[in-house]
Amino acid sequence: MANVVQSLDQPSNYKDSQTRIERQKQHELLSKSTTLYIGNLSFYTTEEQIYELFTKCASPEDGGGIKRIIMGLDRHTRTPCGFCFVEYYTHAEALASMKYVSGTKLDERIIRCDLDLGYKEGRQFGRGKSGGQVRDEHRQDYDPGRGGWGAQAQRLEIERRREVEERYADAQDGPGAVAGGGGDWKEADGGTIPGSALKRGRSPEDEGDNSRMAHRSRLDDFEAERM
Amino acid sequence: MSYRSDERPHHRGGGGGRGGHRRRHNREDYNDHDRRVESPEQILKNAILKMGEVDPAQEVSRLANQIREHVPVAVSAISEGLRVGVTEQPYKIPYYAAVLRLLHDPTPPPVGDGDAAPSTSSSLGKQVLEDFWKGFQNYLDKLAWREIRLCIHFFAHLMVAQVISIESMTALLQSFAAVLDEFGVSYSRGKGAALCAAEGLMISGAVIKKSSTPEISDIINAIQTYNDSIFTSKLLVQPMISLCSDVTALENTNELLDTALTVLRTLDAADMVDSLTDFPQPYLDLPDLDPTISSPFELPSILVPPEVIELDGLATDAGEDAQVKKEDWPEYGIRLFDDTVTPSPITLAGFIVRSNLLDMIDIFEINRKECARLLLEYPKWCVPDTFKAKPGAPPSEDESAGKNWQLESTLIETILSCLFALPEPAHKSIFHIALITELCKLSPSTVGPAVGKSIRKLYGGLSEGLDVEVARRFAEWFAVHMSNFGFQWVWKEWVPDLVLSEQHPKRAFVRRALEFEIRLSYHDRIQKTLPEPMQNDLNVMSGQAPGPDFEYEDPANPHHDAAQSVVNLLRGRSKADEVLSHLDSLKDSLDTSGIHMRVDSLVRSIAVQSLLSIGSRSFSHLLNAIERYLPLLRGLASNDEAKHDILSSAAAFWKRNRQMVNIVFDKLMQYQIVDPTDVVAWTFTNVAGDRHLSGMRPLSLSAFEWDLLKGALDKANGRVMIARRKVAALRKEQDDSIARAKARDGADVGSMEVDAEVKPIKQDDVPAESPQLTTALKAFVSLTREQKAALSRTIEGFVSCLAPSPSDAHQNPYAQTVVTEDAWENRASWGADEWNTWETWGWYRHFCRMYSPYLRNYATTLGTVGFVKIEGTTTPAALLMMKTWNIATGQEA
Repeated sequence: MANVVQSLDQPSNYKDSQTRIERQKQHELLSKSTTLYIGNLSFYTTEEQIYELFTKCASPEDGGGIKRIIMGLDRHTRTPCGFCFVEYYTHAEALASMKYVSGTKLDERIIRCDLDLGYKEGRQFGRGKSGGQVRDEHRQDYDPGRGGWGAQAQRLEIERRREVEERYADAQDGPGAVAGGGGDWKEADGGTIPGSALKRGRSPEDEGDNSRMAHRSRLDDFEAERM
Repeated sequence: MSYRSDERPHHRGGGGGRGGHRRRHNREDYNDHDRRVESPEQILKNAILKMGEVDPAQEVSRLANQIREHVPVAVSAISEGLRVGVTEQPYKIPYYAAVLRLLHDPTPPPVGDGDAAPSTSSSLGKQVLEDFWKGFQNYLDKLAWREIRLCIHFFAHLMVAQVISIESMTALLQSFAAVLDEFGVSYSRGKGAALCAAEGLMISGAVIKKSSTPEISDIINAIQTYNDSIFTSKLLVQPMISLCSDVTALENTNELLDTALTVLRTLDAADMVDSLTDFPQPYLDLPDLDPTISSPFELPSILVPPEVIELDGLATDAGEDAQVKKEDWPEYGIRLFDDTVTPSPITLAGFIVRSNLLDMIDIFEINRKECARLLLEYPKWCVPDTFKAKPGAPPSEDESAGKNWQLESTLIETILSCLFALPEPAHKSIFHIALITELCKLSPSTVGPAVGKSIRKLYGGLSEGLDVEVARRFAEWFAVHMSNFGFQWVWKEWVPDLVLSEQHPKRAFVRRALEFEIRLSYHDRIQKTLPEPMQNDLNVMSGQAPGPDFEYEDPANPHHDAAQSVVNLLRGRSKADEVLSHLDSLKDSLDTSGIHMRVDSLVRSIAVQSLLSIGSRSFSHLLNAIERYLPLLRGLASNDEAKHDILSSAAAFWKRNRQMVNIVFDKLMQYQIVDPTDVVAWTFTNVAGDRHLSGMRPLSLSAFEWDLLKGALDKANGRVMIARRKVAALRKEQDDSIARAKARDGADVGSMEVDAEVKPIKQDDVPAESPQLTTALKAFVSLTREQKAALSRTIEGFVSCLAPSPSDAHQNPYAQTVVTEDAWENRASWGADEWNTWETWGWYRHFCRMYSPYLRNYATTLGTVGFVKIEGTTTPAALLMMKTWNIATGQEA
């Protein structure tokens, strides 16, 4: 239906400068992505607030739902730095968020969603020099929701952010630091699936398998948040 | 979105090759299909699509000229442009009809060269229509009802414009009326066909009537008969609940087909007298055609193809077909303003306006911002003065002749009607909410008041029986809307309602709306928006910010030390089996100390609350805690009672934050610690006791309990859906590999391509079912069993709430009384018990209609098992339960 108006569910032109994935492959991944990058969050916004808004795009009756939320953290201080990833179970839910939530307010800020290639280990941390998002280091204005005056003055706000700071003080990195969120239903008592030792055919679930992604990301060292 | 490429990518001319600079300009890569240099055909198509953006009336002839001057004649580009224009911009249809009429007019004498088409050939208009028809046939084959209907609008206008013959148009409408006579026609199909016939008739009826009257009455009667036959299903989807009566036309509501029939009857009675002010007919300004020179186009006759149901042959272990087919329901609209402010849908003009707006909302769902803009521009496509001029606009010449409706109120009323459609809106609720937000952003001073008035009107409707699910969506809309506009609402005006019973729908609404607001914001922030009497009323909002409630944190709690020891193990990341063995020793010591009766439950409660406590900082912390201690949770969840205890502990831990109860339950199901049926059972057990989580009286459900039930049922249904897709994918994979193998083995390649699917596979070719497929099929059977169990447990639960047998331990005396007319008329004196019970009835209705596609599949088993307790009972409550069930499962015609 894109003849008269353009659909809002198209990915932006953002290109992750540090990804090693080929362009063709990136298109392919985005065309079935279940992950969204969410930007322009307040540093104080909680995962539960994010959950509340994004669950409105979920389709649990279709096997969907919010799989997990990965809060973007300042590399040094381990405090939220204004972005996160929301991962659904289905692609359609991610598209719905692009259409209905991107550009609306959460916690009184207009947030921005973008289809994402998928979370990889390490991407939960900001890649600005100060540890936060790069964009905050270029900011000249006073933005109370983002910790005040850009990165230079950020430290002065630390007291005010005590509570938020403590929330993720235990944030880990390395493999397994971020929860998976629960996978497909499996037969409980079956024990070993008959024939599972045999060579496995490809199935749709194989794409985007988290363990494989995590493996690859070692190469990319500091995978970054986005502008 | 400032970084989004703002140059509209038309690289006309431009030296460099397209591929060359792609690498440097990779920000445009996603749009590269737009960047192609436009062909002359494309330019023409765009001109057709963009027609009328400035002044529709003027641009019609300009576009017709542009099309005629296009050399060579590009029939397919023109018809393609019109096809897209008609189906995606319904408000332009009358103007497109005028363009086609101009193309149908005899060709003006050729200017200059003699190469112009000879005058003997059929008109360009006819050639275009012939090609357009192919597109229509394609929609018909796909049964794309909206597109079919909009094409019919186009044909109907063309008939009035003398381009299409009256006989062939009448025959077309009759073909749709014929669908309504089909045996066992599905509602989606019946509704689609009925609307095609009805709307076609509204546009063309005046002219048809002049030539041949009986056909018109026949078509109207066919729609009427059909509409009467689906009477009962209307009772379940009205936006206002009436438990005691069978009236389908409640005040301030209207059903789409009902209104269409009223409009048609009125028109028919008045001999379909032409009303030039009801919708635009720009082609009427053109001189009459001489039929001897320009014979009208004859639409080919059609047969509406039957619905094709693709069966995947997957059945449950009881042999039931588990495929879910969602049917449309009667489509109710809600009136929030009176007929002078917004169009009455039982008038021709009002019906057409609403039809246009509904289509626009549906078509432009992909881009709510453009949708909002186009909706605000809608009046320019209407007859002048259909809507009041914007403040500050030059006054119209003859304002008194127009309808002068209020655009913004009309838009909000229509969007809210879509949002409140039952059992569920066509698009996600959040789309409608976001669309209203965009309208407010575009024109705050005019849309804002319409939103405010709508909220007040709906709030008033809460005491008149506004459906419980509609009330829930209303609260959701309210909260999300306010979160986009600084939470500014004049709460003061509802302060007087604080005298109402705390379970009165108005008070429940306020409580719920504030709870939703807090979830999107902060307790203190929201509390500050309230006037003082509300701030301090615990039945309005809690005095405390929502948070965890770790029962054993208090050192005074007798089990504080025991819990602390578990917390320490969990914090220290001890292994799950260490924790389990610690719990065992804890159990032994509690056993011997003899201070607790249910030691098992106590230990589970300590373990679960301790685990939730280490996971209480955020959603991610919860996931991490669960994932780290999955073996612990599995060890705890050893039987049904244990699962019940786990859910009880979680609900107790998060009793001050119901959003978290939803989330924890969801993830406990996701990680297969509990099953959906456990959650359903827990919910109904919880409401039976005195520790009702919503603080309601026993045996009543509020929206919160409904959310828990819905979460569980959706999980069960969603899993079946995933399993079904998995089986389909594996089967396809297997079929593909068979096909490949056959091709390799030198099978007849030519015939392979044509009928690979229908060709029976020889016995010895069939490979053994792959192990994955065996597993997937087994999973499918298990999951449908679980799905059925969850649905069955829900029915049983509702029966125990609303029509308990005399021997049941818990009784709700009000279940019988609130369903009578007398009781409803007397609702001003209802207390909390009556309102609670009434709401429970509302959720039962919603359960039946919402899950009707699933219930239908299992109707026999579920009906027998679920209602066994009330079989043969003739109490009003039992009868109402059965009636609702029968309507939802299609057993009551």
